[in-house]
Amino acid sequence: MVVTFPHLGNTYIACKIMFDSLGIDYVIPPLSNKEALRIGAFHSPDEICLPFKIMIGNYIQSIEKGADTVIIVGSCGPCRLGEYCELQMSVLKNLGYQVKFIVVDYPGEIGIKELASRIGYISNQSHKKKIEKLRALYRAVKAIRLMDYIEQSARMIAGYEINRGECKRLLLQCRDRVFNESDPSKALKILKSYKAKLSKIPIDKKRKPLKIAIVGEIYTNIESFANHFIEDTLMDYGIATYKSLSPSWWLKYTGLKVLKLHAVRARLAAKQYLKYEVGAYAKETVGEAVLAYERGYDGIIHLLPVGCMPEIVSKSILTSIAKEKDIPIMTLLFDEMTGEAGYLTRIEAFIDLLERRRRDHVLSWR
Amino acid sequence: MYYLGVDVGSVSTDIVVLDEKLNVYDQVYLRTKGRPIEAIQRGFKQLKNKYKDKEVRAIGTTGSGRGITSFILGADCVKNEITAHAMAGVYYDKEVKTIFEIGGQDSKIILLNQGVVTDFAMNTVCAAGTGSFLDRQAERLGIPIEEFGNYALKSKLAVRIAGRCAVFAESDMIHKQQLGYDSADIIKGLCEALARNYLNNVGKGKDIQPKVFFQGGVAANIGIKEAFEKILGFEIFVPKYYNVMGAIGAALLAKETVESKRCKTNFKGFDISDHVFITNSFQCKDCPNECEVVRILDGEVEIGCFGDRCGKWNQKSHIKSS
Ligand code: SF4
Ligand code: SF4
Repeated sequence: MVVTFPHLGNTYIACKIMFDSLGIDYVIPPLSNKEALRIGAFHSPDEICLPFKIMIGNYIQSIEKGADTVIIVGSCGPCRLGEYCELQMSVLKNLGYQVKFIVVDYPGEIGIKELASRIGYISNQSHKKKIEKLRALYRAVKAIRLMDYIEQSARMIAGYEINRGECKRLLLQCRDRVFNESDPSKALKILKSYKAKLSKIPIDKKRKPLKIAIVGEIYTNIESFANHFIEDTLMDYGIATYKSLSPSWWLKYTGLKVLKLHAVRARLAAKQYLKYEVGAYAKETVGEAVLAYERGYDGIIHLLPVGCMPEIVSKSILTSIAKEKDIPIMTLLFDEMTGEAGYLTRIEAFIDLLERRRRDHVLSWR
Repeated sequence: MYYLGVDVGSVSTDIVVLDEKLNVYDQVYLRTKGRPIEAIQRGFKQLKNKYKDKEVRAIGTTGSGRGITSFILGADCVKNEITAHAMAGVYYDKEVKTIFEIGGQDSKIILLNQGVVTDFAMNTVCAAGTGSFLDRQAERLGIPIEEFGNYALKSKLAVRIAGRCAVFAESDMIHKQQLGYDSADIIKGLCEALARNYLNNVGKGKDIQPKVFFQGGVAANIGIKEAFEKILGFEIFVPKYYNVMGAIGAALLAKETVESKRCKTNFKGFDISDHVFITNSFQCKDCPNECEVVRILDGEVEIGCFGDRCGKWNQKSHIKSS
């Protein structure tokens, strides 16, 4: 068995560590790129959303490299809109790929037993002892939390760094190095060392950088390729960026959902604006926007891909939040046409807007 | 002493020269023809004999080619079109609350409050209503584009044209023409369709407050200005230098930059028109991103490089000044 899985931010790092520990063969698809999108868009239904297409591209690129078992995250994955994973399976089946699918789903949907048996199937492929298997899982969770922590901090510290570009370099280097390490315990050591390095980056605490919060559709938030690497761009401009969505956020969310304790703060904050579930994570989007306002962010960028329905709902609510709370919110809609320049212009103009607003406030305060 | 502003769009390139009192002293209009560097060189050749290098106190670039050309010119300030247009609009009238900008390729709306941008939107997808679209229609009807607006004014009753999309608008016009409608009525109908289309797309959900400035090449078309006024119910103003507002904004922003940093300009001089610039691009294969890396050479010397996400080809390029 050679397993593969779609990309979602840093998850590939955790998966790699897990499969390396379990001794299971795997193929990691090439990092999502234009080619993956092209392949995915070609084989997917036209009107389906962008994340679907990129993931199909990931699967196919992996299958071509020898993967025969595809792990799909079920309806609890990026979207709860109906038959996402069934549709993906049928696309791949129709293409004639003889692969096995393992759908890992939220236990509420398929029951704990079924989930256990599906995971059991994967784990039976490993000849390691049970304790080793548990350790593999533990390492994977640890790795994703470390990597997400490093990324989140680097994006924030970038606003305060004294040597421009240092945070970005460190982040890219860290990803590169863990990825090229096949010994799981060494990989974890690398992550820890980068966490330490990050805390030693010289910063100017007195700087008051612009602070921007990123909210919106979960896949577009987490998979940088889908948002044209917006956070890297913001780092280049010396902006402190915060984004709550990450693979580890999702793990926690899905785990706590069993107890109905998921994303309590954000969901409470959203209550006033959005009383009903509209699918996916629209409620969290709205809630995070309100929290960002309360935490004193200068502005909010809302990301959604073309063809995404749940986030259209949050978009209209965000418009009224922007007015009511007087906080600038920019919505960026991502599609298959990779027109880089248009996004850059919008991001730059948004930064200018925030800067001038701030300067203005300072002037009137004087 | 002069301040230079350069707006490099995909269709046209504008250069303005502002004098010490910030009045527009000179302007050059060029077709970009997809080659921004050549356009810039042609433009500076025209200016070369009139001005001396040391008379230039600051230079700024804007437009989609702002990055590339900033390397060539040694720009002090590189700004996006939204900020540049807003800057120029506010400079001419502090009361401006809304700016409509319709250029050759795209259209924008900018909302301001006390001279500060509060919101904006851009449409780069739909061609209906942009300058290039109007040019084509004028040509098809055999009417010079300068006369287009006046024709609309002659009409008493507009023909209703479906303006939601450039393709529909065009075929609907051809259809109405074949039915024998008067050209003036068709043109007026087209102007109204385009104004509606703009307000429903770019201006969707925006609170449009007077005073409104109408900027960009299409503002020359009085028929569209009137159509806007009819729909909105108040007067729209077309500033005197409506078609070079982006370049004026770039010059003003460059002045601000140089003054706030108390530094000298980086301007490379008018004789850049005599240099030989070579741009070459290659696809980096070092990781799946497969960036298209672009390098600009002045003779043998590399003066700029961009397109690499990780910054491996140019350590300097990923530190931008926003
Ligand atoms: S939330 Fe939107 S973009 Fe994400 S999977 Fe669902 S429909 Fe697609
Ligand atoms: S320039 Fe950097 S990010 Fe781009 S393909 Fe090469 S190595 Fe990858």
